[in-house]
This record gives sequence, C-alpha cells and structure tokens, in this order.
Amino acid sequence: MKKILIVEDDTFLQGLSATKLTKAGYQVMTATNADDATKLMDADTPDFVLLDIMLPGTDGYGILKKIRENTKMTKTPVIVFSNLAEDKDIAKAKELGATDFMIKSNFTLDELVEKIKGILG
Amino acid sequence: MDNSTDIEALRRENADLRKMNDMKSDWISISAHQLRTSLSAVKWILKMFIDGDFGKLTNEQTGFIGKAFDSNERMITLVNELLSLNHTEQTSLTYNFQNHDIVALTDSVIFDFSGESYKKGVPVVFLKPTTPLPPCAFDEEKIRVVIQNLIENAIKYSNHGDKVIISITPSPTAIEISVKDSGIGIPAAEQDKILSKFFRATNAKAHDPIGSGLGLYTTKSIVERHGGKLSFESEENSGTTFHFTLPLQRSGDGAAA
Repeated sequence: MKKILIVEDDTFLQGLSATKLTKAGYQVMTATNADDATKLMDADTPDFVLLDIMLPGTDGYGILKKIRENTKMTKTPVIVFSNLAEDKDIAKAKELGATDFMIKSNFTLDELVEKIKGILG
Repeated sequence: MDNSTDIEALRRENADLRKMNDMKSDWISISAHQLRTSLSAVKWILKMFIDGDFGKLTNEQTGFIGKAFDSNERMITLVNELLSLNHTEQTSLTYNFQNHDIVALTDSVIFDFSGESYKKGVPVVFLKPTTPLPPCAFDEEKIRVVIQNLIENAIKYSNHGDKVIISITPSPTAIEISVKDSGIGIPAAEQDKILSKFFRATNAKAHDPIGSGLGLYTTKSIVERHGGKLSFESEENSGTTFHFTLPLQRSGDGAAA
C-alpha cells in the first residue's frame, strides 16, 4: 500500500483529504507543521507528499527544501496544495522541486485523487 | 525649496507609494487565501454529498446541494478574478462577448440570493420588461458579477422589511438595468468617492464592518469594458438606485473584446 503524507494545518481540510485518500486505498499519515512532518518522514519514508504552504513556523517551502535534501526523497513526488497561488508562489515551489502545484479551491477531492493516481500509477 | 530637496521629496513619496502598492497586493493575496480556504471546505463537503459519500440523497436534496455547489463555484471564480484584477488591473482580462438573455441571467442571480434575502427580511422584486428585449452581446460571467455585486449591496445596506427592486428597460441604443433599495444610502459628501477602489462609505462601515471596498470598483470596470455606464442616485437614510447600461452596439467591437 502506497504511503501518502499530508501536511496541512487546517485540521478540517486535512481530515477531509485524509478520509478521501484512505478510501482511495492509500495509507495516510498527517502532520500540521514542519516538525511533525520531519519526524514522520524520518520514521517512515512516504511515497507521496501533499504539501500546504502557509503553516505555523517553517512553511511549506522550507519543508520542500528539506525533502529535496533528504537523499531518500530526492525523487518523491510532492504536490504543493495551497490556496496561496500567486505566480511567484508557483514559481518558487517549482524552483524548489515541487512536482506540481494545485490550488485547493479549484479542485475537488476526486480530482486530487485522480491526479495522485496518475502520478503513483 | 531648491531642486535637490524637491527630488528628495519626490523620491520619498515614490517609495511610500510603492510600499503602499505592495501592501495592497499582499492584503489581497492574503484575503484571497483565507476566502479560498473556506470555499474549498464548502466545495469538498458539497461534492462528497453529491457523490453519495454520506449516503444516498433524495432528488430534491441533490438539486439543492447542486445549486449550492454552483453558487460556491461562482464565488471561487470571483475570488480568482479579483486576484487577476490585482495582477493585471482590468486591461488584460479576457472578455467573451456573446448574445445572452439578460432577464434569465438576472433571474438566476436573484435565485442565488433567495437565502440571503429571506434571512435579512429584504425581498427582491424583479420588474421584468413587458416587451421582448433586443439582442445584446455581453460577457455572461462578468455581467453576473455586476448584477451580484449590486444586489448583494442592495440587500446588505437595506433594513429589515425594505424591498429591493430590479428593473430592466430597453432604449433604442442600450439596455438599462436598475437596482433600487430603500436602505442606508450614500452620504452626499462621499458620493464622488464611492466608485473608487477600496473606498467604503462611513455609514456602510458602521452598518457592516466586513467589506473590501472592491465591489463597486470591479462593477464599474466591467460595465465600462462593455462600453456601458454605471451611475447612481442616492440619499442618506432613504436609499440608493444603481443603474448600468449595456449598449446594443459596442463601439469598436474588436478593440473592446
């Protein structure tokens, strides 16, 4: 079973995404901040990361940078899933190695699942 | 004042303006983020209802939840458009001018506000034209935003029991849509500023502290891109009537599109 890490500080949105992805057959781990996300990734390397940008403390860009510095995760697909979506935010995420950038309000959870299935196969 | 002091003063002013402009951009970006977060939650939940994730719905339930989903989608579109307005102002937004039915569009917007209208005790009355309207080309989604903004304001600034009256009148050269309320009105001294970006009248802020001051500015920009005119008459404590026109023949169609 493929493991997905969701990093999202809004617990309501996190709960909904986790429910949907679990139903779609993935093993889901969740974190609301960078420290928890790092601990989870160190303990059990995920196959996929769904990453919010605006987080308390270290933001999503900081986490993405750490992910790409982690030798076990240089190729792990990371979708930045945020509502902060100015051109400069998208450019920054791409530059740091994000696989894709999705604006939460522009997608339904089904579309997100489809997207992840497309990437993980 | 000598030249160097002059230049120094201009430089400072320029730096201040740039800083204000950046602050404005950041403010819009952060507000859009907050709005989108709530809109995402609503969208995802409604979609899960529609998909039957929480059990099978009756046809009536599916119908209403579908309407709610569509309304929410329009709000998401609006936030996206406000963001693109922030980026490019109105000049490079693309407009799609085609013949549409303004009466049907107005009806559909009024339907969207039926909940709000009921909650506030402000009925919306639509005086439909008695004769068929001449064909008129406009961007349906943009004009939807215009009608939404005007009705939303009219309801918001009315008092319980007041009516909002919408009418559509054709003239030989244009169609005029009017939205009349009997609400708080716009103070005479502030009427010349009411269409400016971020401006909110003193009594409007007191009546409802939440508001960006972007609605009428966006409305005016959209109407003007259609070659129309946004105007109003208002008296404090007796109400406001907004009018906008959609010309039947837009001058320089190619240039305006």
